Amino acid sequence: MELSTEMRKLLHDIDSKTSSIKSAAKLLRECEPQERKEMLTLMKAAAQEVMDCLTELENLSARQI
Amino acid sequence: MDKLRILVIEDDKLAQTVMGKHLAANLPDFASDMKTAEKLLKAGKYDICFVDLKLGRDDDYSGLKLLPLVRKSGAYPVVMSSSDDEETINKAYALGCKDFYVKGNEAQNIKAVLDKYTSHKSPQTLDDIFATQIITHDIATRTMVTEAIKYAPTDIPIMLLGPSGTGKTRIARVIHEHSARQGEFVAINCAAYSEDLLEAELFGYKKGAFTGAYDNRKGKLAQANGGTLFLDEIGSMSQNMQTKLLKAIEEKTFYPVGSDKPEHSSFRIISATLEDVQQLIAKGKMRFDFFQRIHGFTLTLKPLCQRKDDILPLIADFSKGGKRLAFEQDAKTFLLNYDWPGNVRELKKFVEMVSAGDGLVTLGIVQGHIASRMRLGTPQAAATDGMLTNQQYELAMTKGLNDAIDRFAWEIIKRNLSANNGKKARTLEQLKISTRLLYSTLNKFGGK
Repeated sequence: MELSTEMRKLLHDIDSKTSSIKSAAKLLRECEPQERKEMLTLMKAAAQEVMDCLTELENLSARQI
Repeated sequence: MDKLRILVIEDDKLAQTVMGKHLAANLPDFASDMKTAEKLLKAGKYDICFVDLKLGRDDDYSGLKLLPLVRKSGAYPVVMSSSDDEETINKAYALGCKDFYVKGNEAQNIKAVLDKYTSHKSPQTLDDIFATQIITHDIATRTMVTEAIKYAPTDIPIMLLGPSGTGKTRIARVIHEHSARQGEFVAINCAAYSEDLLEAELFGYKKGAFTGAYDNRKGKLAQANGGTLFLDEIGSMSQNMQTKLLKAIEEKTFYPVGSDKPEHSSFRIISATLEDVQQLIAKGKMRFDFFQRIHGFTLTLKPLCQRKDDILPLIADFSKGGKRLAFEQDAKTFLLNYDWPGNVRELKKFVEMVSAGDGLVTLGIVQGHIASRMRLGTPQAAATDGMLTNQQYELAMTKGLNDAIDRFAWEIIKRNLSANNGKKARTLEQLKISTRLLYSTLNKFGGK
């Protein structure tokens, strides 16, 4: 089934944020403690944004049923 | 090495941090939105620019809109995106992006981009070229190649002459790599297409221009915009095509098949032929004005039999990274005395075949491989591409394809009959042919 523009944008954002989290996770072990702390804060914020996108996507999907 | 000035256009803070870590050895700047990106691009001279396709949640791929400005600024444009659909990738490349990678493996992707950029910007020295790309110890060939490399950054057309398999395509590519041209190296073998197909390949076509044109297609001329168009086997191009191509070269515009809208493309021409160009002109097969346009610097490559000092270094180069080969002395002597009618291409094939066997190569092994290649035809036949020899092609051109095929059939039947002491039953069985074909061929040619 064809996805709506809004859904496509959400999926793109989810892809993008999860890719960033994945790349950041690979860097964590070589970070200094302070740097790691900052990175983890950003990763958590990105993860929260992924959650928001997923919730929105869930709502949009529910409307289609 | 100098640090590279890099602009990263990316709205995501985490992605920016990740990029910053990977680019820490260089001088990265960051822009989170269109406005800042435009300002930085206009003000600073960046070596590389990484562009995220989407800048913001509801953004409509503004990264793509920035690409023309990135190119104008002289920076090497790289698009990074989490979306890898074909349409987006094609659009990015059409707008001048040089590299496109899908987010998620930054360490490897960024390294690959930096390596590519650095190797592109730091051309190899001549010693490097002769050590890795064009293996030759022949002084005349080295002088010619050195001269050709000097012309690489200019627009002067280059013509490569020499027998098949001498490495004309490789040299054309090396010249392109040293030209500092941002566009692609686009090669086409003119002998591989009929006139109509060659026109469609070169100029591209519009949907519905002819049966089978189901979609618009970009031609080689458009692909080579800003780069190099390598026309191999140019001697086989018809006069009609030469006229059309001449016009496109002179005016830098052309019409795709089925289109009334001209398209622009600026490219450097490198051409190659194994034929005698003066003969082609004298016989009226090549237009003189076309020749003048594609001929600037000429590089003539010698056949391998005239540069035998290259045989062993070439074998060493072809076997690099694979099995180490040790040749017995008499095997080496045989290789050096053999004429290699298929030139470097034949030698490469030989190394591939030998590498499949034992590491120690004896005279018997060498003779076995060369004899099996020789059995496929005369030395002249082996010197050609694929199964078709120039002689066969000329015969088909003068006598017509049907007559030529009859003659090839006769040559095969004649050889097989001779090998079987004239026993037709064996020939019928071995060649898997009908009695009718055997007798009609014998009737036609057997008395000659």
